[in-house]
Amino acid sequence: MTQKTVENATCTFCGCVCDHIGLQAEGDRIVKTKRACGLGEAWFKNHTAEDCYPDALVDGKPATVDEAVEAAAEHLYQANMPLVYGLSNTTCEAQRNAVALAEWVGGVVDSHTSL
Amino acid sequence: MGGKVTCTLGEVKNRADFIIYWGGNPADCHPLHFSRYTLIPKGKHVPEGRKGRTMVLVDVRETPSAKHADILLQVKPGKDFEVITTLRALVKNQPVDAARVAETGLTLEQLQDFVDRMKNARFGVLFFGMGLSMTRGKHMNSAAALALVAELNAYTKFVSMPMRGHGNVTGADVVMRWTTGFPFGVSMSRGYPRFNPGEFSTIDVLVRGDNDATLVLGADPGATMPQPAIDHLARTPTIVLDPKVTHTSRLARVHITTATTGISAPGTVYRMDEIPLPLKPILESPYPTDEEVVHRILEKVKEKPAWTPASYKEVPCA
Repeated sequence: MTQKTVENATCTFCGCVCDHIGLQAEGDRIVKTKRACGLGEAWFKNHTAEDCYPDALVDGKPATVDEAVEAAAEHLYQANMPLVYGLSNTTCEAQRNAVALAEWVGGVVDSHTSL
Repeated sequence: MGGKVTCTLGEVKNRADFIIYWGGNPADCHPLHFSRYTLIPKGKHVPEGRKGRTMVLVDVRETPSAKHADILLQVKPGKDFEVITTLRALVKNQPVDAARVAETGLTLEQLQDFVDRMKNARFGVLFFGMGLSMTRGKHMNSAAALALVAELNAYTKFVSMPMRGHGNVTGADVVMRWTTGFPFGVSMSRGYPRFNPGEFSTIDVLVRGDNDATLVLGADPGATMPQPAIDHLARTPTIVLDPKVTHTSRLARVHITTATTGISAPGTVYRMDEIPLPLKPILESPYPTDEEVVHRILEKVKEKPAWTPASYKEVPCA
């Protein structure tokens, strides 16, 4: 089983974004964390890289990512007033793309800040 | 009222000798906040560390954070705005009715002592959580807290900072600010950005049923939102990007599994003090990243005929 360590990894569980976390991985899961708090440790250990979910679902049925992307684009394009929501647990690069998408389809874009 | 006097957490660590947490419980929700950024570290201008700092906790109950506090001010639920307004009056030496102060659960003496300590601090900081910003008064509470801190700068250095919850919610504010000019609740339906919380904030949009499709990423509204909002997500086409099949995925028309941010997906996230930090993913995911999937959806949309607002041709030029 392949082993990997990362020093000074960044934890994205809460707004503290601690960037001093030591991680040790075996295969497709993180087995040890250093300097993380209880919440951070659970976050790192509960997210694996296992292939345990379908790539995509369209109308509840397994589909390829290509088919799902096509369906998503069609739904958003056909809508008169689409909403792009969330953006909290993702990267700034994805957020930037999401804002561009909202602009392109003429929709609303909003995050957890408004809750 | 508006505008935030703020700083980075590095400045808090190196300078702050008076720290207020209002309506938040960092001991449980931000466990390393005390030890990494605020109370415990020895700072350049606070060489004694914890001994050189005073911490005041303002909350409606004695949370686990209380044992880290030097002073606990227990406010009656829903009376935060009244307390802040009283503090603002006391800062400016205005007369205050002790009987009305008592309605907040605190005494005039407690608040006068609090104000004296704030004014005598070398570098004060007010961290405010959802106990202030999401309870009765909501954004008016936040605005009052920001105004209090701004006014204290007539006497000493004082800053404020919201205790942000979810990982990169700060990044969402920052990215939307530099792309649209507004931090959240932005509508592009007229082809240019408009900001109007209450009209373009998600729960309001969903509960009224204003929108007719939703793309959800980095969130699980199906688990947390009010039932009428969830019903609307189920009624209209919803698309979910998430590392797991979530509650929202189960009521969505389209779900795409993506790599977990920070664990498998690289990129940038903002800390609560708006410092951008790079991610260092350790695992290789079999799934694409949010960034890639949103980009692919955008490219698909761009292949279709361009969208223009329905009213575009009807509005005569002035």
